[in-house]
Amino acid sequence: MFAYVVRRVLSTIPVMAIVALFVFSLLYLAPGDPAAIIAGDQATPEDVERIRAGLGLDRPFLIRFGEWLWNVLNGNLGVSIFTNLPVTRMIAQRVEPTVSLMLLTLVLSISIAVPMGVLAAWNHGTWIDRLIMVFAVFGFSVPVFVVGYILAYVFALELEWFPVQGYTPFATGFGPWLNNLVLPAVALGGVYIALIARITRATMLEVLSQDYVRTAKAKGVGSRTILFLHALKNAAVPIVTVIGIGVALLIGGSVVTESVFAIPGLGRLVVDAILRRDYPVIQGVVLLFSFTYVLVNLGVDLLYTLFDPRIRY
Amino acid sequence: MKRRDLLATGTAAALGTLAMPSLSRAQNARVLRFVPQANLSTLDAVAGTQYVVRNASLLVWDTLYGIDSNVVPRPQMAEGHEVSPDFKVWTFKLRPGLKFHDGEPVLSKDVIASLNRWMVRDTMGQRIKATLDEMVAVDDRTVRISLNKPFPKMLFALGKNNAPVALIIPERIAKTDPFQLITEYVGSGPMSFAKDEWVPGSKAVFNRFAGYAPRAEPADWLSGGKRMNFDRIEWLILPDDATKAAALQKGEVDWWENPIPDLVPLLKRNRDVVLDIADPLGNIGALRMNHLHPPFNDVRARRAVMMALNQEDYMRAVVGDDETLWKPLPSYFTPGTEVYSEAGGEVLKGARRIEEAKKLLAESGYKGEKVVLCVATDVQITKAQGDVTADLLQKIGMNVDYQALDWGTVGARRSKKDPPSAGGWNIFHTWHAGADCLNPAPYTAFDAGGDKAWFGWPKNDSIQAGIAKWYDAPDLAAEKAAIADLNKQAMEFVTYGPTGFFLQYQGWRKNISGIVKAPFPVFWGVTKT
Repeated sequence: MFAYVVRRVLSTIPVMAIVALFVFSLLYLAPGDPAAIIAGDQATPEDVERIRAGLGLDRPFLIRFGEWLWNVLNGNLGVSIFTNLPVTRMIAQRVEPTVSLMLLTLVLSISIAVPMGVLAAWNHGTWIDRLIMVFAVFGFSVPVFVVGYILAYVFALELEWFPVQGYTPFATGFGPWLNNLVLPAVALGGVYIALIARITRATMLEVLSQDYVRTAKAKGVGSRTILFLHALKNAAVPIVTVIGIGVALLIGGSVVTESVFAIPGLGRLVVDAILRRDYPVIQGVVLLFSFTYVLVNLGVDLLYTLFDPRIRY
Repeated sequence: MKRRDLLATGTAAALGTLAMPSLSRAQNARVLRFVPQANLSTLDAVAGTQYVVRNASLLVWDTLYGIDSNVVPRPQMAEGHEVSPDFKVWTFKLRPGLKFHDGEPVLSKDVIASLNRWMVRDTMGQRIKATLDEMVAVDDRTVRISLNKPFPKMLFALGKNNAPVALIIPERIAKTDPFQLITEYVGSGPMSFAKDEWVPGSKAVFNRFAGYAPRAEPADWLSGGKRMNFDRIEWLILPDDATKAAALQKGEVDWWENPIPDLVPLLKRNRDVVLDIADPLGNIGALRMNHLHPPFNDVRARRAVMMALNQEDYMRAVVGDDETLWKPLPSYFTPGTEVYSEAGGEVLKGARRIEEAKKLLAESGYKGEKVVLCVATDVQITKAQGDVTADLLQKIGMNVDYQALDWGTVGARRSKKDPPSAGGWNIFHTWHAGADCLNPAPYTAFDAGGDKAWFGWPKNDSIQAGIAKWYDAPDLAAEKAAIADLNKQAMEFVTYGPTGFFLQYQGWRKNISGIVKAPFPVFWGVTKT
């Protein structure tokens, strides 16, 4: 097991290297110019050219890539072209809101979606099943920003239960922290709940049709025990896989959610950086997202062994 | 603990709790939460000309002179000045007691270094630099500028609000290359910048500078006593317009610099929100043509576009049907000023002449080649103009290649001089703040200096001579004549296509007072109850 973990961690190195090369090349080829944005609308083309040279953006691709890679290998993600602040500091400022949003969404989604899926499977073909599936289709179909606007209008603007926007750090207190995150987490969780609920239902239906479940029923084992002790554990592997894959969905969704609710997270940081062509920031955040995703996949693989003793590494 | 002590402590605690709401309200009244027009991603108003950066800089830094609401420069950091009768030697004396945020006094050497940096980037500064014999410190508070040519517009140059603004910064920072961003934000303005609290893209914080010495005169735009009634101003960068509107309605923010027209009716219905025109000098929409490549390297093709261009179409697309927000503009200059002129503007008046435009276009040699129209679709004003232009060009028989891009891409694309078929462009849209179009000095887009001109690179020596004439104009009458002549020439030459004049709103909570109309948000004099 330990050897497997070490192997997997080491295998992230070439993955990250490919991501780094890909991101750098993509940004190099993409149209846009940070010098033009810094210079502003009143600047002359000559001014823009001088600023571009000052930023070193007129140097050849290989030199810029080599320099950046060397810095990254030394733990230096560079400084923002615009703010001159270290990229690591900018990322550090934004990690807490995004992690908070994702964790709350994850907790909320799993605690709602898994029981929903189980309930739908247990009541397969009944109105309960249909109702849950209607909800799942709704969750899939309505864009995050529409849900966000509706939630903000009803619960923040009309009922005044929650703030419209912003983020309160956890250090300020659990109450204010939660108060700011409830609406964004619900908005972001919609699609995630739908996804997990559907997979849970489908997997549970398959498991519930197995012989051992029928045997358990024949032996008079209670429904709750069958469902949550026997069936759910056996259905867990695909569910955990989907939860892991869904993290990418959350990262993408957080970009929109953070914009709608003005949460100063990594999603907004990378969108702002893309719009301004702040290359070091884009590269830093994309590397971080990729690394997170690789780690989440590793975590999911390790979790398999908990749910299915037949899986050994 | 004795029973009496316990009672006393309990009572004190209870009273403290009861008193908290009013204390909290009082503290809240000392904090202003402001939503700016864009993200504050840098803080160097010399290296860059973004309006949002200029607006933040005006809080942190101060200027020797500052324009008032009549666009007349008044002494600000300067106690006053002396000028030789030939306008060649200017001597400025600093007010006593001026201090930077780090506690250091503002000295002549800081002024000299700051102006040296500014002169490289600013068009008026470049003219001063071109005729500069010397700029010396007579003493710690006195600076003398000697020129080899008269420069009557010196005070306007030092006090204008147009970026790059002649901000006074400490000498050690002013030594930074003017094409590179400064990294230390130490000014002598009424507010200091809290760099530690800066979360770019989310929040920028300004704290009241206790050492600021405001002038005795009442504040008027950049002139007079800049008295701050807030200990702290928070700039909250909210990326979504609907969120901004909701936050203003709910009182989570106090002041929104530029509500978009679509949301104005919603905000008007809220009794706790006040809406008013932000900047009386407004904005001028611009259809920018590339003078280097066919078809618009031929003046007849440019004139054809002007003949067919209907400003009403553009303005309704940009600001909607609220007719108080726009008007036609048969001119390149900001309306409502003493020098404003419509000379030569007939081409933009009356019924549009589509058939004549088609004929003129054919005469120019246009044979249906693709016209690359670069439209920044992520900016409402440019998107609206681009859509109208696509329709206009099709009406006069042009083959339009509509390229939907983001503003970042348009910003880079427009600097390409390559032919449109090789990654260049024919047309893009933007708009110019009316404050930048009062006269030719800060009006980069009006320049017709060819290679050194703004994007599109118009070249017209006669216009350049006209600009020089304006600079040399000794009085208002001469300035007026120069502007009329320039407008006429630019209309004939079609430097670019003005698409109309429009205003924008600003919105704030009812408990805020003292907000004035200006080309930039004026924070001094604003109060909150």
